[in-house]
Parts: sequence; structure tokens; C-alpha cells
Amino acid sequence: MAMMTDTAPEQGRSNHFLLHLMAALVLLALGGGYVIWEILQFGKVQFNTNNAGIHWGMAIVTYDYFLLTSTGLAMVASLWHVFGIKEFEPVARRALWLAMAGLMGGVVVLFLELGNPWIALWATPLNMQTSSPLFWKVLLVGAYAVSLGIVLLGMINKPDAGRNPLMMLVGLLALAVTLVAGLVYGMMAMRPVWFGGEVPVVFLIESFMGALAFTMFFSHLKNGFNHANMRPETRLLFEGTLARMFAISIGLHFILHAGRALTGLWSNAEGMQVWEYLVAQPLFHFALWGCVALPFVLMVLPATRSNGLMQILAAALVMIGLLISRYEFIIGGQMVPLFKGTWATDLLHYSPSNGEWALLVLAVGLANTVYAFAAWKLGAEDRA
Amino acid sequence: MPKWGMVIDLETCTGCQACTTACAMENNRLPGENWQDVLFYAEGEYPNLNLSWLPRPCMQCENPSCVSVCPTKATYKDEGTGVVLIDWNKCIGCKYCMIACPYGVRFYMDEAPIVEPDVREAFPASGRRSWNPPFKMPDEYEDASKGIGIQPKGVVSKCTFCYHKISQAPEGVADLDEDNPETREFTPACVRVCAPKSRFFGDLDNPDSHVNQLIAEKGGVRLKEETGNKPQVYYLSGGGSPVVPGSRSRRS
Repeated sequence: MAMMTDTAPEQGRSNHFLLHLMAALVLLALGGGYVIWEILQFGKVQFNTNNAGIHWGMAIVTYDYFLLTSTGLAMVASLWHVFGIKEFEPVARRALWLAMAGLMGGVVVLFLELGNPWIALWATPLNMQTSSPLFWKVLLVGAYAVSLGIVLLGMINKPDAGRNPLMMLVGLLALAVTLVAGLVYGMMAMRPVWFGGEVPVVFLIESFMGALAFTMFFSHLKNGFNHANMRPETRLLFEGTLARMFAISIGLHFILHAGRALTGLWSNAEGMQVWEYLVAQPLFHFALWGCVALPFVLMVLPATRSNGLMQILAAALVMIGLLISRYEFIIGGQMVPLFKGTWATDLLHYSPSNGEWALLVLAVGLANTVYAFAAWKLGAEDRA
Repeated sequence: MPKWGMVIDLETCTGCQACTTACAMENNRLPGENWQDVLFYAEGEYPNLNLSWLPRPCMQCENPSCVSVCPTKATYKDEGTGVVLIDWNKCIGCKYCMIACPYGVRFYMDEAPIVEPDVREAFPASGRRSWNPPFKMPDEYEDASKGIGIQPKGVVSKCTFCYHKISQAPEGVADLDEDNPETREFTPACVRVCAPKSRFFGDLDNPDSHVNQLIAEKGGVRLKEETGNKPQVYYLSGGGSPVVPGSRSRRS
């Protein structure tokens, strides 16, 4: 009972989630409405990819961003459910619902982007193209979604149950999805910016870092961005273990990100000139210094680490920075045209269309709708 | 069973693009989306300027990366001809094959038009076809399971080596040559129209084929050997110049 007094009154929390749900539904309606209108009016040509060389655009950036955030969140929840790290118990339920929310947001965007998404549902599992990383990714994402759904159904039916042994499977699948998502890019020897065995590891670290940022941000959101409302054990987690894990993962991300940029700048290999372009862009420096280095400092210094406002700032910056990094990685890998004559520009230029921005709004809206509804009606935040 | 391959002699190719035009007519291509393209390379500055070109069909690789990455086996290697084909009934439009093809020879239907105005709007679709061009191959040639005909929406397409022609060739023939009345009708459109006769088409598994003789005698080479894709298109450059014009690094 003492713990309950540390949180906002039940009625207030319910209104808070309802407000969140309504705001999310507005985003969903705006983003989804615009996307559907464009598809009906013009078709998927509005998604702005082209035969000159940029085949995977902002839609795939959004999909991978949400998918990898989801798998990272499942891994965060696994810290309690699989490894029994008691400190993570207060955030495990929230992380799992956020994982489902992110997964749904990402998969819906992928379905809208694919040429024939319904064929993918049967043609992928039935044709067994085991040499394709995408075959494994589709299979693993499917298994991950089902197992995560079963765990969440169990939580709805038995809200007081403790650690769920099925989470071992969810955690393993989340890990596998993340690594295979890295292989989808890392195996492409013909794309020098992507190629490399380190890409799955980079994706794993980014996925985990993003998940910690989302856990931190949504925990504060649940408490109305008021640090004082937070339960003592959650506050302790955010100032201690989670903050340190967050700082370490941000540090590793910085090393890998800056390391790849430096390698690209140094290399004479054809294709790596993309890095010269990327590093010359203000967006790159905003992402690296503002969204990686600054949050790292905020999470390393004890004074800022224990400050609620600084935690929110660090989490928000990392969430934004990851989206920019994902964008630069996926688009940057396609900027050098493959085997075109000199009539093609040295580097292809790309900027997302209105339809692609609307896909992002749709994904954000849908993910927040799922989470807010779960918090409002399905007990996602009951013990958080 | 033959393993069809092509030899392109860069010493005699004039860059006239008759091959591109013939392919577009034969295979109902959208303007600008050339399955068989001629890439132009301009190097140097006036007065020391060199203009060169490279005809580039699909390489129909022996070990194609596009086939390896396709999650549904929609892209596959036809065992009877050695040609890489796409089954439009299974293509999900993920575009991974376009990402993985080192030669950039694949095209997605639902893209912004390369050439304006968009002819798809001028000739709107009927049925499964994504557009209804005024020029098109006879309906009986169309085969969605091999990526032949008018592309449906949401799928990827590519050069088929004119599969609808070469698959009808008499059994055991070593070369498909437009000068031979017996094989003329089965010769790919780009080979058949090549005015300077820079293109040769034959069975790479037949030691007596003219293409094999050309490869052996004139030192035929394949593009981007480092990828391990092993193209079935060979280039002859006389040995005095690089096969790919302008192949030096474009890094400034």
C-alpha cells in the first residue's frame, strides 16, 4: 500500500492514459488517412523510391527503427523474466507492451510499403529460400510476434503472475530478429557502406540502447514527466543500473558510429565516398554530438543522471538520434549508383516524400495507440 | 540442356541503342526503364575528351545474388536455359533483389516515372496489367511465372534474354544467329537488330558454339568478377582498353 501512495491517484492515471490514447488516435488518423488517400489516389509511387538506385526509402527506415526498438524492449523485459534481475521488474511489463506497440507500428508500415504484402504471408514460409536473410527475418518476426502476443495475453489473464518462462523464447527470438536484421544489410558485399560482419552487433547495441531510451521516456510519461511521482524502486533503477547500462550502450554506439564514419572517410574504396557526404551534413553532427555524445555525458555524470528532466532529455535525444542514424545508414548505403554511366550523378539524392513522412506519423500514432490502450484497459501499467 | 550466354564485342559496338529500342518494343518496357541499356561514359575535359559506352543487359549470372536474397524464390534460375527469371505470382515487391544486384539491371513497377509524362496514365491498366501500352507482344507469349509480358503492379522485372523466343529454339543448336534462317526467330531481339553485329548468342556449355570460340580467341571477360556472381554475358574489348569505360574511381 505504501508503494501505491508513491504514484498518482488511480483516477488521474486513467485520465492520463485516455488523453494519451486520444492524442495517439489523432496522429494515427492523420498519418493513416494521408497515406491511404495517397495510395488510393496515386498508388505506392508516392513513396518516392526510384529505379535510379534508392530502392529502400524512409518506409524501410521507419520499419526497421520500430522493429529493432521492439526487439530491444523485449530484451530489456528479459532482464527480469529470463535473468531474474529484480531491479527490472517494475519496467518489464511496460517494456513488453511497448515492444508489441513498436512491432505493430513497424509491421504496418512494411505492409504498406511492400508491393504485394499478402503474397508475402504464404510465399515466404512455403518456398523455403534459406539462403535469404529476409526469409529468416520474416519467419523470426512472425514467431516473435506470436510468442510476444501469448506472453501479453497471459499477463492480461493473470496480472499477478511473476516471471514467465515463455519469455526465454521471446528474448531469444528478439535477439535473433535483431541479428538477422543486421545481416540483411551486412551481407550485401556489393554495398560497401553496409557490408561487414559487425553490422549485426551494431544493430544489437542500437536496439538495446533504443529500448532503454524508450523505457526511460515512457516511464516518465506514465508519471506525467514528474520525477517525484515515480516509485522509489523505479527511480533507483533509473539513477543506477539502467542509467549505467544506458550510458555504456550509448558509449558503444558512439564508438561504432564514429569508427565506421572514420573508416569510411579514410578508405579509398569506391562507394565509401558516401561518408564524405554524410559527414558534411549538419544532421550527422546533430545525431552524433547532440543525440549520442550529449546523452552519454548526461548519463555518466551523477548529478544529471539522477535528475528526472535530464533523463527525459537524454532518452528523447537518443530516440531521435537513432532514427537519424538508421536513416543515414539505410539511405547512405544506396547513394552510390550501381553500375550506371556517367550520366548518373556521383551520389544519388533522396529526401522523404510527404507520403513517407505520413508513414512515420502513422507508425508513431499506431504504436502509441496500442500502448495507451493497453495502459488504459489492459493493465499495462498496473504494477509499473 | 543449353546454358545460353551472350558475347558483346565492344570494338564494333557503335552505341546506337538499337538493342535498347528493340528490347523495349519486344518486352513492353516503360520509357526509360531499359532492360537492355547502353551506359555512356564521358571522361576528361575539352579538348581531351573521350566518350565511350557499354551495352548492359542482365548478366544472367551463374551464381546470381538476386536469386540468393529473394525471400520467396520468386527470382529463380531456369534450369532448362540458365536464364534468371522472375515469377510475378510470387514476387512480393520487397526489392531486395534490386539491392543485391551488382549490375543495377532490375526495375520496380511502382516507381516514379523515369521519363515524363508518365505513359502509364496515358494508357491506363486493364485487368492484372499495370498499364496498357499501344505496342505489346502477343498475349500468348505472356507468362507471369517467368516475368514475361506486361508487368503487374508491385513486382520487379528484368531482362529475360527474350525467354519466350530462346526457349522455343531447336534442341541441340549451338548458336542463335539472326543470319541463320533456322534460328532467326529464336534469337533475342537485341542480338537480332544489332547492325554492326556486335552481339552473339549461343550455348556456353557447347564447346563448338561460336560464343565459346569468341570468348577463347578474343579473351572474353565478365564484369565485376570480384562479386562471384559469374555472369553469362562476356565482353570483348580487344585487350587494349578496359572493358568498362570510365571504370576508374569516381572519388574526387
